[in-house]
Amino acid sequence: MTRDTSDSEGAEPTETDREDQPSDAASATTGVILRGEDVTKEYQTGTQTVRALKGIDFGIAPSDFVAIVGPSGSGKSTLLNLLGLLDVPTDGAVSLRGQDVSTFSDADRTRNRKRAIGFVFQSFYLIPTLTALENVEMPRMLDKTPVKTRERAKTLLQRVGLGDRLDHYPDELSGGQKQRVAIARSLINDPALLLADEPTGNLDRDTGDEILALFDELRAEEDVAIVTVTHDAYVAEEADRVVNLVDGVIEDTGETAADGGHGA
Amino acid sequence: MSWLRRVTARFPTVVLARRNLSRATARTTLAVVAIVIGVVAIGTIGAGGEAFKQDQMEAYEGFGGTATVSPVYHMNDDGDIVGGISDQDVSRMRQVTSGATVHPVIQRWDTVVRTSSGETSPSAQVKGLASLGTFYEAQSGSIPDSWRQQVVVGSRFADNNDVETGDQLTVTINGSFERTFRVAAVLEPQGFADQLQADRSVFLPFDRLSQLEDSDSEYGSVIVRVDPQTGSISEAAESLETEFNTRRRTISVSEVQEQRERFSQTFELINQFLIGVGSISLLVAAVTIANTMLMTAIEREREIGVMRAVGYPKRAVVSLLLAEATILGLVGAATGVPLALGIGMVLNQFLVGDPLAFTAAGLRYVGLGALFGVLTSLFAGVYPAWKSANKRPVEALE
Ligand SMILES: Nc1ncnc2c1ncn2[C@@H]1O[C@H](COP(=O)(O)OP(=O)(O)O)[C@@H](O)[C@H]1O
Ligand SMILES: [Mg+2]
Repeated sequence: MTRDTSDSEGAEPTETDREDQPSDAASATTGVILRGEDVTKEYQTGTQTVRALKGIDFGIAPSDFVAIVGPSGSGKSTLLNLLGLLDVPTDGAVSLRGQDVSTFSDADRTRNRKRAIGFVFQSFYLIPTLTALENVEMPRMLDKTPVKTRERAKTLLQRVGLGDRLDHYPDELSGGQKQRVAIARSLINDPALLLADEPTGNLDRDTGDEILALFDELRAEEDVAIVTVTHDAYVAEEADRVVNLVDGVIEDTGETAADGGHGA
Repeated sequence: MSWLRRVTARFPTVVLARRNLSRATARTTLAVVAIVIGVVAIGTIGAGGEAFKQDQMEAYEGFGGTATVSPVYHMNDDGDIVGGISDQDVSRMRQVTSGATVHPVIQRWDTVVRTSSGETSPSAQVKGLASLGTFYEAQSGSIPDSWRQQVVVGSRFADNNDVETGDQLTVTINGSFERTFRVAAVLEPQGFADQLQADRSVFLPFDRLSQLEDSDSEYGSVIVRVDPQTGSISEAAESLETEFNTRRRTISVSEVQEQRERFSQTFELINQFLIGVGSISLLVAAVTIANTMLMTAIEREREIGVMRAVGYPKRAVVSLLLAEATILGLVGAATGVPLALGIGMVLNQFLVGDPLAFTAAGLRYVGLGALFGVLTSLFAGVYPAWKSANKRPVEALE
């Protein structure tokens, strides 16, 4: 893993999104990025109502590292979707930097996702027809700043240790390399929050450790908060906090989860 | 390379679309083939039809300012058929249409035409018409002004019987008259719209036919011509109607210009109908494109979900899929147009004798085919694109 901090700092001035949102920088160092109060999510399937989340409180501050664990069907993905503004709660409130997400239109949520949130998935979801570099650029491809985007994407790929794989297509990369490309992609817009759904689920232990090391770096250097769903114990061990979801509620699991519901 | 990158960077949607199409090559190719077929169908039917029309219209060329007069037969009280155009009738025609030239046409049905190799041609029509050269042009040889020992033959007769200029033809009429003639000229092809069916005819010297003993001075038809500079064929036609048809309708007068317009209109209708039929192939292409795009959208559901998750608005997803559909249409049109033009050139060569004899109308149909091809693809992409963009990213990513 290359630690090329000078490179990443060099990239900072090329960053445009942060300039649109001067408040971001301030709140990124001080306030809570995302807060949930009594968050409930119900799914309606035919006549049945499934309560996936039953009144959850959470808060995520800059450079937090939260692991969400729990058995299958306990509501982990549902929670992650709410955190990622991909969905809205049935009851309770999720707020992004103080703004109630339920007041957002679909377009607003899309815009805020782009501005504040990065996603990493278990199956990477890289676009097979695009090179590593282009995949990283993808979230900003429609912006009219191709030169800046390219510089930024190169910097990010170098920092995740793939500076020599820029023009490789996904099928020419190993699983760990793909996930690193995906992480670089999630960082292209300088998000305040990185959401990962089992990012190490398809990787061996060594590769998983590399990803974790990368997460640490990002938190230290860019104040990125990371929330990850995981089944891997070693990932949960690394986290500042572990949120143990059981059947839609947060279970107390001793010391780590004691403040799990009320982060920051 | 760097300028190319700078240009394409301006249209990232197009870049993405093109890349996406390249991944399912077989399916993409089939969708394009469907569009090509549609474009070629419309373009070829349109351009070929126009070439055919142009070819047929040539038959009217020598007949500017003319009208054809044919006899109307009646049954009299005794049950006999009466009517026909006699020498006196022709004289009366000459009198009432001052300024017009009146060319009676003799047509004989009781004839046998034999080539020098001894073969007979049952479909040959033996006719006599003075001043043949004012109506037709020769493709080989030349049409004599006054002639007694020669015949002039139509193109189809010449082709069918292997007859060339300079060959000998023996014509027997009514079993008695028999004579051998030399072929002086073969006429240009005239098409089926021709007044006298010249393509299938053998023109004998007019005087020969009119002087035959059994000639009962009846004419198959009469061609009346007025120099458009000095007179009007419509007036001449009216005079003929007044003179011959007041008491009872004994002749039918038909102005070639009118026939020409009627033919043109009828033809237009047929051509449009055929193009309509050809358009059905574009409809089929639309279904193919829609299917291709739906499959693409379903296959790439997660990918599109990721794009939505990382901040692509619905509009961007719609644009991307519409761009893909449109590229299919553009490639189809770009392949179809040269193909349609190529087939059109073959048809032109065949019908008009010049591969480049495209008419403006014919080329318009090729353009129309291309336009419809692109639009069809675009429209076929609308539903899949809309469906894909409105899929919630949560569901797509499950
Ligand atoms: N779209 C949906 N429609 C209906 N029920 C759903 C939907 N998504 C999740 N659920 C239900 O909500 C509960 C929590 O699901 P999920 O958040 O996916 O759990 P996990 O990710 O922890 O396995 C489950 O009982 C699941 O069946
Ligand atoms: Mg899950």
